[in-house]
Amino acid sequence: MNTNSNTYTVIYTTILVVIVAAILAFASSALKSRQQANMDLAKMKTIMLAANMGQTPEGNADKKADFMQLYNDHITATCVIDASGNVIEGVDAFKDVDLKTQFNNLKKGLPVQLPVYECTMDDGRKVNIVAMYGAGLWGAIWGYMAVEDDNQTVAGAIFDHASETPGLGAKIAEAPFYTQFRGKKLTDNGEFGSVKVIKGGANGADNGVDAISGATMTSKAVSESLAMWFNAYKAYFTNRTSAPEQPCCDEAECAENTESNE
Amino acid sequence: MEYLNLFVKSVFVDNMIFAFFLGMCSFLAVSKNVKTATGLGLAVIFVLGITLPLNYLLYEYILKPGALAWLNPEYATIDLSFLSYIVFIATIATFTQVVEMFVEKFAPGLYNSLGIFLPLIAVNCAILGGSLFMQERGYANLGEAFTFGIGSGVGWFLAIVAMAAIREKLAYSNIPAGLKGLGISFIITGLMGIAFMSFMGIQLPF
Amino acid sequence: MNKEIYTKPFFLGNPITVLVLGICSSLAVTVQLKGALVMALSVTIVTACSSLILSLLRNTIPTRVRIIVQLVVVAMFVILIDQVLKAFAYDTSKMLSVYIGLIITNCIIMGRIEAFALGNKPWPSFVDGACNGLGYGMILIIVAFFRELLGSGTLFGFQIIPASWYLENGGWYMNNGLMILPPMALILLGCVVWIQRSIQKELQEK
Repeated sequence: MNTNSNTYTVIYTTILVVIVAAILAFASSALKSRQQANMDLAKMKTIMLAANMGQTPEGNADKKADFMQLYNDHITATCVIDASGNVIEGVDAFKDVDLKTQFNNLKKGLPVQLPVYECTMDDGRKVNIVAMYGAGLWGAIWGYMAVEDDNQTVAGAIFDHASETPGLGAKIAEAPFYTQFRGKKLTDNGEFGSVKVIKGGANGADNGVDAISGATMTSKAVSESLAMWFNAYKAYFTNRTSAPEQPCCDEAECAENTESNE
Repeated sequence: MEYLNLFVKSVFVDNMIFAFFLGMCSFLAVSKNVKTATGLGLAVIFVLGITLPLNYLLYEYILKPGALAWLNPEYATIDLSFLSYIVFIATIATFTQVVEMFVEKFAPGLYNSLGIFLPLIAVNCAILGGSLFMQERGYANLGEAFTFGIGSGVGWFLAIVAMAAIREKLAYSNIPAGLKGLGISFIITGLMGIAFMSFMGIQLPF
Repeated sequence: MNKEIYTKPFFLGNPITVLVLGICSSLAVTVQLKGALVMALSVTIVTACSSLILSLLRNTIPTRVRIIVQLVVVAMFVILIDQVLKAFAYDTSKMLSVYIGLIITNCIIMGRIEAFALGNKPWPSFVDGACNGLGYGMILIIVAFFRELLGSGTLFGFQIIPASWYLENGGWYMNNGLMILPPMALILLGCVVWIQRSIQKELQEK
């Protein structure tokens, strides 16, 4: 058999590619649901951690906590809003909003879809959990921040990253950094603004936290991404301040959303 | 201006060799003298500059979840991203093979100085790494992908030429027997990496 | 089949310190032992399996598309590993991110296929691939051990250096932040090579 003829080469590669593609397609579809479940669970975990749930007293994730249970029990409503604070109908905050896409839209000034999760705490308080996403030093950074019902006090925050330097920038995902955000105010010269990450120490400022020493770029990235996202969320929170009774979304939709999360 | 910023960043800050160690094999094997190092460096710039935009288009219009929607809105749920590694590497391997044939046929002079490196490049991690980083970081358009490709290539080129120059001088220095050759090359690359870290905070004023 | 095939990849023919293969994609994963271990296992599985498959196919592969056929087989295994990690070890797969994909261009795999699997029977090829993967993993783990211990004071994430030794707790000890940075991987590797070549003098370069 001549293994160098054109026909042979073409047939050989075709068969090989078809076999390989078939194996991969099979593996991918067989594992898809597990992978999706993992991703969903990771997302639920960060959202719940932002509301200080499922945490040890130091603020680390509690290894025994069942985050899916927590999420289903406490997230009482979700909605997606645009940059002027209006609810966008027919979009699911958990399933349909890809933060990376929204981040790119935000940068370019295109219309955005911003997720809001309403979380009912154990004592009946309601907090709004909002998202943020940005570019760190090496890769993406993202996080969630829970805002109290007064629309200006931070209840809790959480950050995660794709590939920041371990031991330096990666510390944004560790308790000593993100627990600093608790109780900070979302104010900027009397107006609504984001919490800032301040290099050299916040010195107790009520709208700033200490940056991580040795990780200037990552700290700066957190600060800038927060500023960018809270600028987009500004309308939503100011609307809420002027009309405090306005719920996150209407009742029927709330019920529907809660169901779909289960 | 954004492009210039991205370019500078990918040359110095996100340098393929000093920040990510990609393409180390050929980097260490071919950095013994400046002339061959320059040849390989140029070949890498060329291949990165072409394959990155190509892979960007493939990813954006075929592989990405929902990317097939331009063919037919019904295909919007198809997610082929699990095939991206194989498609990227196939593009790179095919491209280098095609270029090699062309160069051999039409520019024998260039082939003699560049062509021998082309097969090496197919398995150069810097090339595949470029495509994977492009996918991971989600560059927004073709221009960014191209700038990133050229920038990474130039960064790689700078690194290998600088290394070759140092190694030419090293031949005359007195190094402990066990460190000679490979050992000292590792350490020098590490030290150069530390030096390159000083570019980390770089930000163009516009 | 002689015994050399088992022992050679670990010392006299170690893929990293002697053959200078496969440094590219992996030094960035040596910050923590866990990442290094997963990487080492993944590379071993991919090298062994693809050596086996390509050795079975060795007489049928058309020479002109040899490299592409090899890359396709290797890429298939890498994608499988990536998918399995994403499904069963999500955190680890997140930590390794693009570096799993870069196993495709890990020169050890292509190097062993070209140098051994294409000219030998399937079983010896499988063993050769597996041993080379392990030899490579051994170096990764040595480097990761020192980087994690000295850089973060932990091993596999468990605190090894007593907390009371640290400066902030009134002690005298501080983690060596330099160890965490990428260039230190290369410098450590240089030291490993130095030690090995001081013992096995026949490896020294002139």
